[in-house]
Amino acid sequence: MKNLLKVVLLSALLALLIVPMAAQENVPAPGEGGFIIEGYFGGSSVSSLNPLIANDSASNTIIGFIFPGMLSIDPATKLPQKGQDDALIIDWEISEDGLTYTYTMRTDWTWTDGTPITSADVQYYWDALSSGLVQGFAGTYYPIFIESVTTPSPDKFVVKFKEASCTALPIGTLGVVPSHVFPKDFAEINDMDYNQAPDVTGGVFNFSEFRPGEQFTLLANQNYGGAINGQVIPTGYIYLNVPDQNILIERFLAGDSNIISFVPPNRRDDVKAAAGIKTLEFSPGNVWDYLALNYADPTNPQSGYDENGNRIDQGHHPLFGDNRVRRAVALALNIDDIVDGAVFGYGQRMNAYQVPGTWGYPEDLPLIPYDPAAAIALLEEAGWVDHDNNPATPRIAQGAKYAPDGTPLSFTLYTNQGNSRREAIGAIVQDQLQEIGFEVNFQTVDFTTILDIIDGQTFDAFILGWGAGVLSDPDPTQLFSSQSDILGAGSNSVSYYNPVVDELMAKALNLPGCDPVERKAIYDEISALMQADLPYVPLYAITGFYAASEKVVPWTEFGGFPYDKIETWYVRQN
Amino acid sequence: MIRYIARRLLQSIPTLLGITILSYLLMSFAPGGPVRALLFGPNTRPEQLARVAAVLGLNDPIPIQYLRWLLGDDWMRWDSDGDGIADGSFILPLDADGDGIPEPPGMSKGFLRGDWGKSFIQRRPVDLIIAERIPATLELGVASLLVSIVVGLPIGIYAAVKRGRIFDNTTRVLAVIFNAVPVFWLGLVLIIIFGVLLKDANGGPFLPMGGRRPPTSVGLPPIWERLNYLILPTFVLATGGIAGFSRFMRASMLDVINQDYMRTARAKGLDNRTVWFRHGARNALIPIATFLGPSITGLLGGAAITEKVFSWPGLGQVGIDAVLQLDYPIIMAVVVISAIATILGYLLSDILYALIDPRIRFD
Repeated sequence: MKNLLKVVLLSALLALLIVPMAAQENVPAPGEGGFIIEGYFGGSSVSSLNPLIANDSASNTIIGFIFPGMLSIDPATKLPQKGQDDALIIDWEISEDGLTYTYTMRTDWTWTDGTPITSADVQYYWDALSSGLVQGFAGTYYPIFIESVTTPSPDKFVVKFKEASCTALPIGTLGVVPSHVFPKDFAEINDMDYNQAPDVTGGVFNFSEFRPGEQFTLLANQNYGGAINGQVIPTGYIYLNVPDQNILIERFLAGDSNIISFVPPNRRDDVKAAAGIKTLEFSPGNVWDYLALNYADPTNPQSGYDENGNRIDQGHHPLFGDNRVRRAVALALNIDDIVDGAVFGYGQRMNAYQVPGTWGYPEDLPLIPYDPAAAIALLEEAGWVDHDNNPATPRIAQGAKYAPDGTPLSFTLYTNQGNSRREAIGAIVQDQLQEIGFEVNFQTVDFTTILDIIDGQTFDAFILGWGAGVLSDPDPTQLFSSQSDILGAGSNSVSYYNPVVDELMAKALNLPGCDPVERKAIYDEISALMQADLPYVPLYAITGFYAASEKVVPWTEFGGFPYDKIETWYVRQN
Repeated sequence: MIRYIARRLLQSIPTLLGITILSYLLMSFAPGGPVRALLFGPNTRPEQLARVAAVLGLNDPIPIQYLRWLLGDDWMRWDSDGDGIADGSFILPLDADGDGIPEPPGMSKGFLRGDWGKSFIQRRPVDLIIAERIPATLELGVASLLVSIVVGLPIGIYAAVKRGRIFDNTTRVLAVIFNAVPVFWLGLVLIIIFGVLLKDANGGPFLPMGGRRPPTSVGLPPIWERLNYLILPTFVLATGGIAGFSRFMRASMLDVINQDYMRTARAKGLDNRTVWFRHGARNALIPIATFLGPSITGLLGGAAITEKVFSWPGLGQVGIDAVLQLDYPIIMAVVVISAIATILGYLLSDILYALIDPRIRFD
């Protein structure tokens, strides 16, 4: 008994000694934490490391590392927050009319050559963009919203908008470039060496090397103004081009890279099961998928309004022009099956068009139930009958609202070729709708072709997805307002028109003070209306998923931003 | 011979021009268009689409767009007094958008004057983008061609000599398999075997799974220090070549092997090796020249799929990305390079053929 007691006491003593030793891992000296290596498959065509010119996501990822962040985001609410160390802008004021935003910047943040970052750098950014001489696409975006930018002091800049909007705050933050090394003639910006080799920057890393088609190499910037404790621990960051997604995963699993920020759902279980790998799942994920149903007559596509702002008669889709048919489609789809079949369970069902995890998501709105019996009843009520009692043949119209008698309950469903997730959705939708008497002609076409079909509004239905970013505002004006129903260009290609929704969207977008609580109440109302109208049948939002080698520590994150506090990360050497 | 080459080159000019016209038309009529592909998103505004189309010159009729690519636009709209505002125009209107302000003067000189334009996506000169990628493409192409020849030709000779035996039958079957196996699949299998399953002493991949050099290397090490990066992509790219060269060589050797001079050589008492290689293979190589030209063409054309599988930073990857993104200037550059390489490859074949075989004369 005494011996047993001794063993227990000795074990406890050893445990007390070992636990703190294990916990006190030696953090490497600044700049000696090893390379964070991430593979990406977004294509080898990187546009530019100059934020005035960059056009693609790979470039913008690198720009996010080598330039200061403008706005800090609260991890909990996903809303902009004031007074934080990780962003240049620490405060802002909005005028009563909602047109003028005055931003206050930190004054102690410098470019890598020691020059302070000031409002003059924002001013240059705007002047260059609005000149029309810089060839990046940012110059085609910001001037749509912003009328002018002025700089009353080195730490303040004032942005005047053309129209008041609650989505204006992040747009007005614009960006910064080191104006003291940029040319006075904006046209010269297009051909600067800086665009591929920026030598004066201000982010967590400095640019080191660009190997076209291979990688970017960045090195720690020990003067980074947003660093915790003023230190950047990793040696650097390498962005490795791996053009094929499957090989990207294999290379990550084999240790060729040590973090990965996009793993397709079909490989997530493999990654989770791999030794030496840690994973994180979060909401909102990157993408949400939907089934879009055309309201209007696809044989005679028209914009929503003429040049004088008068409504144009767009006709009605023979099937989906009737709300009962759209509801029947939604009720007949077992979305849980779709989540399992298309994204292997890595998806969260959506009740309308807001992404779960974003601040505009209507938690109290119930999901659309799976109820094929109710769907059949709706089809019967809408005048679509099973004339031969044969479930293998489509129903036909007998007294349907917008289809002549005898019209089969048949439509073409498109999605983009090569996207296995959406191809799986299409196959499941085809099967499930066939069970209630639809005939679905499912076609996969290449991406540019489907864009042509969508813009031309000649479709019956299609499956696509939208991205959901960290700063995802719940405003759906561009997607669903009748003003966005523009043939050949507008995003409301389904020709959805509900004057009440239009009015509510405008009210929420222009709400004085832009209080998120008040806005959310309006968006909840919009969500409920749109769930009833169903311009989109909401499917799911893919769960976010990041993975890293266990050697990468501490590796923090918050939804939608995989590099949170990257300046504290390091790679264990054993 | 010089006259022959000059005539062939002159004849290729209309061919090349026809290829560019056809390619531009096909590209322009592809559904979707580059602007929408570039800016497809829920918050894209119609006015933004219009502005980007104007920036890229895509609002003009297709013949004007083609002429701009071929001959530039500095003669379509110009600034004669140097104030930066266009004051004269031909074909194009001075004020295209009708806002009362003349459009900026044309700056492009066009392909024929050495200006390959700027990439729609990267906004960088196309010739620079192409020049960055050619060394990697040539490196992989030359390595795979050498392996194809060095391995393929002896296999073909030996298979012909041992006709109907196990070696011949095995190599014929293997040649068919290697010709039929998709490069993508073979690459993936090799990556899994040599990268995932087999490990080196440090627990890392036995062979690099992609890329052209170690990510943390400084600059581009000399090729002998990074031969391990070439092994897998070279093997994958060379499999088709080995199969092709061996089958071609075998057939050619079988034609030669029953010739009178081969019998004479044997009758003179020469050993088999001398008969096969000095008398047989040398003559059998003549038809191979026709195969070599197109193979050399492939060096510049790039091996798009192999480059993609092995993350090899060559021209093929640029071409694939450009096609997917409808980046017209890069697509046109890749088309022209491939067309020129094809024309030169076949010309080289003809010249080689005539040089090797004294019975052929330039006409």
